Amino acid sequence: MNREVLRVEGLSKVYPQPNRKSILAVDNIGFLIERGEIVGLLGPNGAGKTTTIKCICGLITPSSGSIFIDGIDMIHTPKFGMSKISAVLEGNRNIYWRLTPRENLAFFAGLQGISYRDAKSYIDELIELFNLTQKATTQARYLSRGMQQKLAVACALAKQTEILLLDEPTLGLDVEASHELRGLIKEMVRDNNRTVLLSSHDMQVVKDICDRVIIINNGKIVTDERVDRLSKLFETSSYRFELDSRLTQKEESEIKSNFDLANIIKMPDHTVIDIQLRSHQRLYELIDILRKNGSKVDSITHREPDFEEIFLKIVKGK
Amino acid sequence: MKSNIALFVTLFKRDWLEMVRYPFNMLSSIITLYFLFLLIFLGYRAVGGQGVNFGNTVDGITVGFMLWTFSIAAYSLLAWSLMNEAKMGTLEQLYMTSLGFDRLCVYRIICDFFLNLLFVVPILVLMMATTGRRLHIDILSLIPLFIFTLASVYGIGFISGGLGLVFKQIQSFFQILQFVFVGFIVAPVDKLPGLKLLPLSLGAKLIGKVMIYRLPITKLPPMDLLGLVLNGLFYLGIGFLIFKICERIAKQKGLLGHY
Ligand SMILES: Nc1ncnc2c1ncn2[C@@H]1O[C@H](COP(=O)(O)OP(=O)(O)OP(=O)(O)O)[C@@H](O)[C@H]1O
Ligand SMILES: [Mg+2]
Repeated sequence: MNREVLRVEGLSKVYPQPNRKSILAVDNIGFLIERGEIVGLLGPNGAGKTTTIKCICGLITPSSGSIFIDGIDMIHTPKFGMSKISAVLEGNRNIYWRLTPRENLAFFAGLQGISYRDAKSYIDELIELFNLTQKATTQARYLSRGMQQKLAVACALAKQTEILLLDEPTLGLDVEASHELRGLIKEMVRDNNRTVLLSSHDMQVVKDICDRVIIINNGKIVTDERVDRLSKLFETSSYRFELDSRLTQKEESEIKSNFDLANIIKMPDHTVIDIQLRSHQRLYELIDILRKNGSKVDSITHREPDFEEIFLKIVKGK
Repeated sequence: MKSNIALFVTLFKRDWLEMVRYPFNMLSSIITLYFLFLLIFLGYRAVGGQGVNFGNTVDGITVGFMLWTFSIAAYSLLAWSLMNEAKMGTLEQLYMTSLGFDRLCVYRIICDFFLNLLFVVPILVLMMATTGRRLHIDILSLIPLFIFTLASVYGIGFISGGLGLVFKQIQSFFQILQFVFVGFIVAPVDKLPGLKLLPLSLGAKLIGKVMIYRLPITKLPPMDLLGLVLNGLFYLGIGFLIFKICERIAKQKGLLGHY
């Protein structure tokens, strides 16, 4: 089986503006997604995430470039690709507010040509899993925003497609609702071997859900990297060492020559060393230096790499 | 085939649910339209419509009014519902059906046609009860006439819906257009045969012949029947074409999901 399931090549989108300079929303973007991957499309407001996703969905005609879904040309024969993709595009907007969750789920399955009889057991499962049982017969407009957004994702799942495109699925949710939805997305994808492209401007969301992240800014791809490797790449983990004694001259010069990012703060009765390390290995080197002199380490505190900092660093050109 | 049936049933269920869940919408429209009719009828009687042709003229008004009701109901599917769904954000989801949006439109029109009967029939009954005159309801003759007469209305609906996707501010124009339908329905096609080219006009006349003069469809002039079919297909075809052009522009400008 072909592993590649979504291919975007040289995708550009220009929005012509009357009497103004036209907007280059997406600028020559290309990427490949393999079956089962969860990929995040991360970028600040106006980066071109929604435009990219809607181009893939055949809802916006790109100015140039090509999109293939499982080998199907989405630009020339979008209808055939629609059996493979479903999308949540506007958070809570793309469900029917006057229908109940169950009716919405049945409607979306029906859009894909799945009869209610065939969809029913899966719909039951979704209602249960998404914790909508109590509200299954309440019209969607009376649900909380969190529930509406959960329902929107469930509706996309009800279409039983291989690929799921989620544009800012957790936008506007409080911390708890956002966490619940993220958990559900992860669970649904892992269990059913779906492929997901998810956009967000929130790095926490991407870090939490995705295996891989494509960062875009001003319509261009800035980075395309595995999430774990991306963190490693920028792993300027900070450590703070507190010693209950002063450093010797030798120690100090040795540390300074080995770790150019070290900051040594000398107090009357103790010493603080703030240090930025790119790999864990280097932590032992520092400890070795300290051991030679028998300095007593009071505490070591570690700060996780901040995804936000990484993101800003990349977007602002490292 | 199975998936086509599933799609059709799904669309029908949704329209049905919205209809029965909001009976007030339908009831209030029926009542409003009925009072409008009452006003016209009483007005006509007051200004001395007691002449020789009184009965036939009242029947004419009734038939015309019913056709107008049917037309605005049909028109609103494409002109209003479509734009409403664009506003709500569900239109994009409809576009993503694997059976194709065009097919979905056809199915919706069919569902809509039958559901509108639930709205038109009560009005017709009320009108007949008011005037005390029975119109001839020959279902077999009327169904084909209605289909091709309303085809032209769906055509205009497609044009309006398409333009609405691209030019969002056009909606008040649609409201006015509904009253232009009255003009189409009462156009004197006997005196000016050229008016048969208008949408609705020829159909209105033929439906009148069946309902008022009790002619079966087989007794209607064949050229008029052919004309009606061509007229319906022409407007529907042109309307759909213009809709597709607008849809293409909307996709280029990214307007399918915009208010
Ligand atoms: N339909 C449109 N017509 C004209 N310009 C548009 C349209 N849609 C988006 N744009 C512009 O294109 C650029 C990219 O927009 P897009 O919505 O794709 O970004 P985004 O990454 O989804 O942003 P956000 O985080 O705000 O949702 C922006 O400058 C936006 O103003
Ligand atoms: Mg967006």
